[in-house]
Amino acid sequence: MKRTLAYAAGLLAVLIAVAPVYWLITISLKREVDQFSYPPQWFGFPATLDHYREAFAGGAFTAYFGNSVALAAISTLAALLIGVPAAYGLARFDWPRRWDDRLGDWILSTRMLPPIVTIVPLFLMLRQARLLDSLAGLALVYTGFNLPFVVWMMRGFFEEVPREMEEAAMLDGESRGGALLRIVLPLVKPGLAATAVFCLVVAWNEFLFALILTQTEAAMTLPVGIASHVTQYEIQWGVMSAAGVVAMLPVLFFASAAQKYLVRGLSLGAVKG
Amino acid sequence: MKPRRIPEGFWWVFPSIAVLLALSVYPLIYAVKLSLADRRNFTRLVSDRLFLTAGAQTIVLTLAALVLEFALGLALAVLIDSLARGRAFFRTALLIPMLLPPVVAAVAWRLIYNPQFGVLNGTLRRIGVNTAHLTWTSGEASALASVILVDVWEWTPFLFLLLSAGLQSIPPEPMEAARVDGASAWQIFRDVTIPLLMPTILLALLLRAMDLVRIFDQIFILTQGGPGTATETVSLYIYRTAFRFSNFGYAAAMSFVLLAATMLFSRGLLRVMRSR
Repeated sequence: MKRTLAYAAGLLAVLIAVAPVYWLITISLKREVDQFSYPPQWFGFPATLDHYREAFAGGAFTAYFGNSVALAAISTLAALLIGVPAAYGLARFDWPRRWDDRLGDWILSTRMLPPIVTIVPLFLMLRQARLLDSLAGLALVYTGFNLPFVVWMMRGFFEEVPREMEEAAMLDGESRGGALLRIVLPLVKPGLAATAVFCLVVAWNEFLFALILTQTEAAMTLPVGIASHVTQYEIQWGVMSAAGVVAMLPVLFFASAAQKYLVRGLSLGAVKG
Repeated sequence: MKPRRIPEGFWWVFPSIAVLLALSVYPLIYAVKLSLADRRNFTRLVSDRLFLTAGAQTIVLTLAALVLEFALGLALAVLIDSLARGRAFFRTALLIPMLLPPVVAAVAWRLIYNPQFGVLNGTLRRIGVNTAHLTWTSGEASALASVILVDVWEWTPFLFLLLSAGLQSIPPEPMEAARVDGASAWQIFRDVTIPLLMPTILLALLLRAMDLVRIFDQIFILTQGGPGTATETVSLYIYRTAFRFSNFGYAAAMSFVLLAATMLFSRGLLRVMRSR
């Protein structure tokens, strides 16, 4: 009896968690006449892909989607290229007076800055550099935003690899960089992949920076495109829901791929989970 | 004085330091300069009714969401932990709200909340509830609570996930010892489990609080701070000041209040992380 009750409570929680997402999906698949019919139709409505076609077949959302993909990929790659050596440097070298911890704390604290604090200066800086409304400008900002996370996470993963591994390789004539590339990185590959996934998801989901630093199809991302449709006078719910569904699918896919490291990433490495 | 050598590791970290100086530290200094350009920016803060309203509402929202998310997250973590089977399924399914792009989650809730054609009032009407007064995000009295509800839906999974991981990492021996000594289930939970879980609890609450005080995306989509000023928060007001009224100096000054709150949380956070 008690067990049945526990399962029932768990299922109720799952239902509450999933129902809004399911409802969004049904709206994206319903004809306009069925979208807001009373009583609400959860099942058995005639489905159509018209809204997906309207949003993505040559529509503005195709451009937003492309921008989101490019931004996520470029900024993740850049953050990894700059951040992984830093993580290795903090994890492996001898630092006087605990400078490794001081630098690490400082790097992490930049991640905790609220975006709204830096957004005004960044907007003015990018305007001066003529990088407003460009993929390059936004990619730069996202790289800076993800970098502390990469350093902090990868430092933890590197510290879990015994030093003897690369010391042996270096005795055999391998350089420091060669030991990192050929010995250490393959050992932390799952952690590296999880870190990359986190950066991808953060860049993909980000809204505030993209809202302020982009204005046109040249650089607008999927979340900003969706938002600009919500705040318009007449809302095309079908198109917007379709875009929303498309925006959430990659995240769910990637998150399930990195599930083992979800706790660790979300707690900034503090809970090894 | 002996010339000090630069530690070898420095050159590995240098590119990251340079990027963060350019993209975090320099903007911060720039913001200080902007805000100090006119000294009245700071005196205006304390007499600006709208800023004080936004501040009070941000505090209410943060505290209410934090308490609810913690209580629900802990209850769910204990519940799922007690199940013999299917834990992986529950854990995966319960995480979905937190993973969605916040903009998409907010769009879904706009579809739900709409008083006339939203599915929430539609469903309530169907089971015989009079929904004439249930205006959710469009009612001045209910808007803030409705926004909090969305945040609770979206972020309880975060507390659940972290507390769940914390519970699993607690060794079973202390609980068993207490059971042998005749403690009741509630006593064990209160006097053994909770103290052992405390570092994780603190960590999760601080991380969440830091995100809550800067809340923007969901409210921007759901209400834009309205109706009136019912859901105005500090982030939204700063955004409007800077990018609708082009008053960058005052926006920068206000953002330092948010920064101060964040620093309070982050210092605690670093201490908790260090002690682990």
